[in-house]
Amino acid sequence: MGYLNKLEQEMNTCIRCAYCFEECPVFNEQGWDSDGARGKVILSYGLLSGEIEPSRYIADKLFQCTCCRDCVERCPSNVRVVDIISSARADLVDAGFASETHKYVIENIKNTGNIYGDTEVTSPVREGETPLFIGCQYLSRPNKTKRYIKILEKLGFDLHIQKEICCGFPMEILGFRKDFEAHKEKFLKSFPYKEAIAFCPTCTVFLKEGYGIDVKHIMQVILEKLPEADLGLKVTYHDPCDLSRGLGIIDEPRKILEKLGVEVVEMKRNKAQSGCCGGGGGILMSDSSLSDRIALNRIKEAMDTGVDTLVTSCPTCEQVLKKAAKEIGEREGKNMVVRNIEDILWKGLKKGGK
Amino acid sequence: MKPDIEGLKAIVGKNNASDEIADLYVYSSDASVHQAMPSAVVRPKTHEEVQEIMRYADKNKIPVVPRGAGSGMSGHAVPIDGGIVLDMKRMNRILDIRPEDVICKVEPGIVNDELNRVLRPFGFFFPPTPSSGNICTIGGMIGTNASGNRAVKYGATRDSLLGMKVVLANGELVTLGTNTRVEASGYQLARLMVGSEGTLGVVVEATLLISPLPKYRAMGMVNFSRLEEAGRAISNIISAGVVPSMVELMDNVAITAVNKALDLGLPDVAAIVIFECNGMVKGTVDHDMESIKKICEGHNGTGIKVSDDPGEMARIYAGRKKLFPSLSKYREGLACVSLADDMAVPISKIADCVHEIHEIAKRNNVIMSAYGHCGAGLIHTKILMDPTKKSQWEDAKRAVKQVYEYVHRIGGTTSGEHGIALSKAPSWKEEKRDSLEMMRAIKRALDPNNILNPHKLMDAPDDWTTATALRYQVKGA
Repeated sequence: MGYLNKLEQEMNTCIRCAYCFEECPVFNEQGWDSDGARGKVILSYGLLSGEIEPSRYIADKLFQCTCCRDCVERCPSNVRVVDIISSARADLVDAGFASETHKYVIENIKNTGNIYGDTEVTSPVREGETPLFIGCQYLSRPNKTKRYIKILEKLGFDLHIQKEICCGFPMEILGFRKDFEAHKEKFLKSFPYKEAIAFCPTCTVFLKEGYGIDVKHIMQVILEKLPEADLGLKVTYHDPCDLSRGLGIIDEPRKILEKLGVEVVEMKRNKAQSGCCGGGGGILMSDSSLSDRIALNRIKEAMDTGVDTLVTSCPTCEQVLKKAAKEIGEREGKNMVVRNIEDILWKGLKKGGK
Repeated sequence: MKPDIEGLKAIVGKNNASDEIADLYVYSSDASVHQAMPSAVVRPKTHEEVQEIMRYADKNKIPVVPRGAGSGMSGHAVPIDGGIVLDMKRMNRILDIRPEDVICKVEPGIVNDELNRVLRPFGFFFPPTPSSGNICTIGGMIGTNASGNRAVKYGATRDSLLGMKVVLANGELVTLGTNTRVEASGYQLARLMVGSEGTLGVVVEATLLISPLPKYRAMGMVNFSRLEEAGRAISNIISAGVVPSMVELMDNVAITAVNKALDLGLPDVAAIVIFECNGMVKGTVDHDMESIKKICEGHNGTGIKVSDDPGEMARIYAGRKKLFPSLSKYREGLACVSLADDMAVPISKIADCVHEIHEIAKRNNVIMSAYGHCGAGLIHTKILMDPTKKSQWEDAKRAVKQVYEYVHRIGGTTSGEHGIALSKAPSWKEEKRDSLEMMRAIKRALDPNNILNPHKLMDAPDDWTTATALRYQVKGA
């Protein structure tokens, strides 16, 4: 248990108080103590101490985590729960317990540079001053990316975009750390910048934490330059965990929406204590049914606000919440439109300068 | 005897019983230092299922340990003899809310804060306010007679509990207590269940007394350069007839920890006291706050801040709220261990007790901070130690023993709100030595096969350090 070894003190810091149960999306969905963050820390400790042996069952439990950081936010002892879980995953992968779908994604990154294994992906190259990192999720949605880039250029950004490869976050969070070590060098050659802007919340966090790059999320750089508009919309805003809990970017998207004339009606769980979309941590790939159930809970919470539009600023959140909204729409006839904030920005810019 | 997992699955459904090693390992510990593996974990949904499980367990003499959130700090939910852990969290319905009778009926798995969220629109709340209210269950609160930082005004769980339905060891369902605020003579069996830590029965329904939400609230903070003066001020506040809703003390170790971790800039004084009053009439709240302020000034309290602004109140309470994490990160290599964590002493002895705790910590090479709901005479401590070293456990064992000897000497009690279970049992048995046989007789009468949370309280081992394995890996001297 080479990776967990470094976290023994951190696991001893956990007093096992269970405060992390409160809004753990997996615990609330499945209900066993072994599903909650505390349970995962205990399982990790057992693997390290040798009291329990690695097994498929334990691996399944440890991979059933969206890594939404709600537990970290609530932990009275500030325990680095996600670090512990990702280290346990790395030890389990080394012990031969990687899931087949995760292996497939990692092979895609190694072979094609992106998570989808898409050899047709092209980066919209620019030769300007400010490096932009787009990320696999947006690169696979060229129309959305094109629009996002246009938004930045309209606002006066002189972008520098070159052919990029995946930041390697899936390797880290899914436990393929040896692959990540090899990937890291490759990535830094492809993206040799000390400062940058990024579209994807998860990539933004990882460029910071994994590489030490001073990267700003797009929400942090556009507010000042954005002209006011009067879209007259009323929406609820879903905080992506990597933006809100990971980077503390909570006010910026709300101020942007306000500037565009969009009223935000908050959900019960919002901002740093936002509910989880169910899409993170790899469960979308390895346990899509669990991911779907968590997303459905979030859409129901959005419906409780009384508005019919949910805006978010993460492509993964957008994807899983859209699917959940569609399911509820078909099943119960209730409508919730899920939109990426880029869509609102685009409309705002078109209508801007009121 | 190992429980028949297929038989248990037949009772609760295949997804609600497990003997997977990973699940058993997770359910082998709680928030205490203890660890012992069960043979099965079962999650019932109805009292009928609980009855069936108990009938099976009693017939086969298999231990059953009821468990709520598993947030107990003394080992209540740790199955010292193995057997079945009964995870009660699926029984979490609110059955009835009757504002006109100021009562509600709930199942034991409902979480305290969730109950309060539902009661709020009715203008009511369930008064016991444990710090773990966000996750602790009503069943666990009944088992330990939990209270919290507002116990000074509202009392403990016992004071807000009227009746209950309980499944006994043999599977029989009994109704105890009443739905009324008063009940005359006869054995108070519902109250007997409160604080019995799952050793006498499994609570499957509780009738709770609820209180109207106060309309006004104000909070204050005062510094003391001498601990004794803080102690005397607290004592005078309580004896003056003022009824604060909170009186919290932080000692110098706590202040240092908070400043180090959070840079809050709290003054480097011997003690800080935080107080709160609430009520329906603003004038009464203001009057009580003014009275407390004057008492504190009379005991050389300085830098007094009082506010009813929610933001300012949050700032006043920030240090106390963040104390726990601050202690956890006090020093690299030290863990914050739950031992001797909730003694209660006569209010006039609080300062002496805090002073003595510091002396005992010094003598035994550990760090102990004292803080807590001092208006109710309750002192929380945590032992900061290196849990991987054998010598530190010996240090902790000596410190715990000395703390309790002192607490008993000054007329205090071993546990004010967290309960006894395993880690406090040796000292508690000393404190209650002339009533232990009475308790054992009650236990024998209700649970002749000794299957309900066996070897806890009066039957717990005499050495807590060896009662079970420790949850920490102890490696070196």
